[in-house]
Amino acid sequence: MNTLANIALRNLTRQKKRTVLLGSAIAFGVMIVTLINGFAGAFSANVAENFSDLMAGHVFVSGSEKGEGDKTLSVIRDDSALTAAVEASGAPVRYVTRRSSFAGTLIFEGKKLQTNVDGADLSQETFLRDRLLLKEGSWDSMSDENALILSEKIASRLNVDVGDLILVQLETVTGQANVGEFRLAGVSYDAGIFGQMMSYANLGYVNSLIGLAPDEYQTMGIMLDGLKHTDAAAEAIYGRLYGGVQLFERGVKDEDGAVTPFQALMRQQKKESWEGVKYRLFTINEVLSQIEQIVAALDTTAGVILVVLFVIIMVGITNTFSMVIFERIGEIGTMRALGVHRGGVRSMFLYEALFLALGGAVAGIALALVAMGVISLFDFGMDSPAFIIMRNGHLSFFLPPLRAAANVLIIALLTLVAVASPAGKAAKLTPAEALRTQK
Amino acid sequence: MKRFIGAAVLALLAAAPAAFAQDARAMLAELDRQGDFAGKDFAALYTIVSQKPGEKDSVTQVRMFRRDDREQFTMLVMLPEVNKGQGYLREDDNVWFYDPTSRKFSFSSIKENIQNSEAKNSDLTKRSILDDYEVAGTTEGFVGKIAVWVIDLRARTKDVSYERIVLHVRKDRTMLLKQEDYSVSGRLMRTTLYPKYVELEGRLMPSQMLIVDELNPGERSQMTMTEQSLAPLPDKVFTKAFLEQVNK
Repeated sequence: MNTLANIALRNLTRQKKRTVLLGSAIAFGVMIVTLINGFAGAFSANVAENFSDLMAGHVFVSGSEKGEGDKTLSVIRDDSALTAAVEASGAPVRYVTRRSSFAGTLIFEGKKLQTNVDGADLSQETFLRDRLLLKEGSWDSMSDENALILSEKIASRLNVDVGDLILVQLETVTGQANVGEFRLAGVSYDAGIFGQMMSYANLGYVNSLIGLAPDEYQTMGIMLDGLKHTDAAAEAIYGRLYGGVQLFERGVKDEDGAVTPFQALMRQQKKESWEGVKYRLFTINEVLSQIEQIVAALDTTAGVILVVLFVIIMVGITNTFSMVIFERIGEIGTMRALGVHRGGVRSMFLYEALFLALGGAVAGIALALVAMGVISLFDFGMDSPAFIIMRNGHLSFFLPPLRAAANVLIIALLTLVAVASPAGKAAKLTPAEALRTQK
Repeated sequence: MKRFIGAAVLALLAAAPAAFAQDARAMLAELDRQGDFAGKDFAALYTIVSQKPGEKDSVTQVRMFRRDDREQFTMLVMLPEVNKGQGYLREDDNVWFYDPTSRKFSFSSIKENIQNSEAKNSDLTKRSILDDYEVAGTTEGFVGKIAVWVIDLRARTKDVSYERIVLHVRKDRTMLLKQEDYSVSGRLMRTTLYPKYVELEGRLMPSQMLIVDELNPGERSQMTMTEQSLAPLPDKVFTKAFLEQVNK
C-alpha cells in the first residue's frame, strides 16, 4: 500500500508542469468556493451585529397594552419589572436603550415619502453617533427638540437640505391622525436597502407625536457584550420575567410554518386576548431570521459553482489521466510482469488522483485564506453603501471548518470518480498486451 | 334691585354657552339622522376624481352597500380597471379588505383612504357625530355668502381619525356645507366641502363632496354620488362570500 502511494507521489513529481496545471485548476475552483463560503459565514453575523447597533439591542422587549374597545396599544409605561429582570438575569449587558417609533409620511415641498422614524434618547445612545456617520449636518444639532436625521437616499428623494422643515403625517398609537414638523439636523451616508430604517429623532418628540407621555416608550433594547450571547441572554431574561408579568410565548411557529419566529409572535398577538400589558421578548436573530435564507442561498450558490467548476475540471482530469496511462503503458506492463495485481495498478492511479485533489484543495483553501486576509485589510469606511454587511467598514469572512472539510471531501470524491474510468482501463491491461503496445 | 339685575345677567351669561351647546347638539343630532338609514338598506355609486400635482387625474369608482341597522357595509371597487373586484367589508368592528388577485382577506380600517384618493372609508359610512364628538364651542360665520353656525368639536373617543373637527352648518336649514379636520397637534389636515345634496326619503345626502388635502397643496378629490337607492339588499351582500363571488 505504502509502496503504491510512494510510486503515485513520485509519478506526480515526475510531470511537474502537468501536475501543477491540474492542481492549479482544482485550487482555483476551491478558492472561489471557499471565498463564497467565507463571505456567507460572516454575512449573517455582520448584518445582525450592525442591525443590533442601529436598533440598539440584541434582545428586545416591547409592550402591548389593551386599551379602549379591546384595541392594542404599543407602549411600555412602567419598566421597573423589566429592568429588574434584566439585572437579575446575569446577562452580559453593555447598556439598555428605550425607543419609540412610527411609520409615517414625510412631506416637503410637494414631495412625499413613507418611512420609519425611530425616537431615541440621544443623550444615552452616544454609540449611535459612532455607528451612523453623517455626510451633512451635525449630531450636535439633535439638541433641538424636533431634529431629525435622514439617510442620504431619503433626503435626496425629498430634496431636503440640512435646516429645512419637513412635515410628517402619522398616526398616534391609538390610530388618530397627527402631523408634526421636523427640522433636518443631519444626513447620514446611504445604507442601501436599509436606508428606510435609518431615520432618527428625539424620543421625547416622537412620543409627543404618537401620543405617549415623555417617560413612556415602546421598545426596550438590551445590548449585550456580543451577538453570541443573544439566545442565552434572551432565555435568562424571559425566565426572570416569566410569572412576574404577562408574556407572549416565545418560539411559536405558525400553523403553516411559513413565517419567521418574529412574524409568528406578531400573529399570535392578534389571536390572543388579555387585559393590561403583555410583553413580547424577541431577539435580533428572530427579527433577521430571513437573513439566514440569504446565507443559505449563498451557500447553495457556492455548492452549484463547486459542482459546475468540477464537472469541467473532471473532464480535464479524465482526459489527462487517459493520456498519462497511454504514456505509461509500458511501465504498467512492466509492473504487471513483476507481479503487481490489477487492483494495485488501479490503486496507484487513484492515489495519484487523490493526492492531486488533496494538494489542490489545500492550496485552494490556503489561497482563499490569504485572499480573505488581504481583502479584509481594505477599509471601505462606515460611509460605504454596503456597511451593513461589513464589520467596522471591513469585509470580513468566517469559514466554518466543517464546510471547508466537506468541500475537500467533495473534490476528492469527484476527482476519484473522474479517474476511475482511465484507472480501470489501465488495470484491465494484461502484461503482454501492455508491453507490446507501441506509443 | 341692582343685586337682582346683576345676578340675572350672570345667570344669563352662564346659561348662554349651555344653550348654544344644546342647540349645537340638536344640529348634530339632525346631521346624524340625515345620514342614518336605519331600517333600510342603502346603495350608491361613488365616483372619485383625484388630482395630484404633476400627475394625471385618477378616477376611482366604488359601489357602496350599507345596512346601518347592523353597522354593516360592503364596498366594491369598480374602477380603476386594475383594482376592479377589490372590496371592503365591515363585520362588527372589523373591516376586511379583499384582494381578488391573491383571493385573500386582510385586516383594514374604516380610517383608511379609498384607493389613492383623499376620501376615507368613513366618509361613505354612517356617522355618529354626537357619539364621537363633544361640542367645544359654537360661533357664527359664512361659507361664501351663506350664514352658518361654526361648531367646534373635540373627540370623545380614540376611534375617530381626527381629534378635532369643525363643522360649518347652514343656519336656515340643517345642512353641512363644510368640514375641517384637525390633527392631534392642532394642524388643519383636510377640508371637505359639500356643495350639492339630494333628498332621499326625507334625508339629505351630499351628492358631491370636494376633499382638499391641506398638507399637500394641490391634492384634492371630488366625490360624486349617483344611482342612490334605498331598496332592500340581499343578506349575502354583507358577507365575504359575496366579495369572492363577484370576482368569479
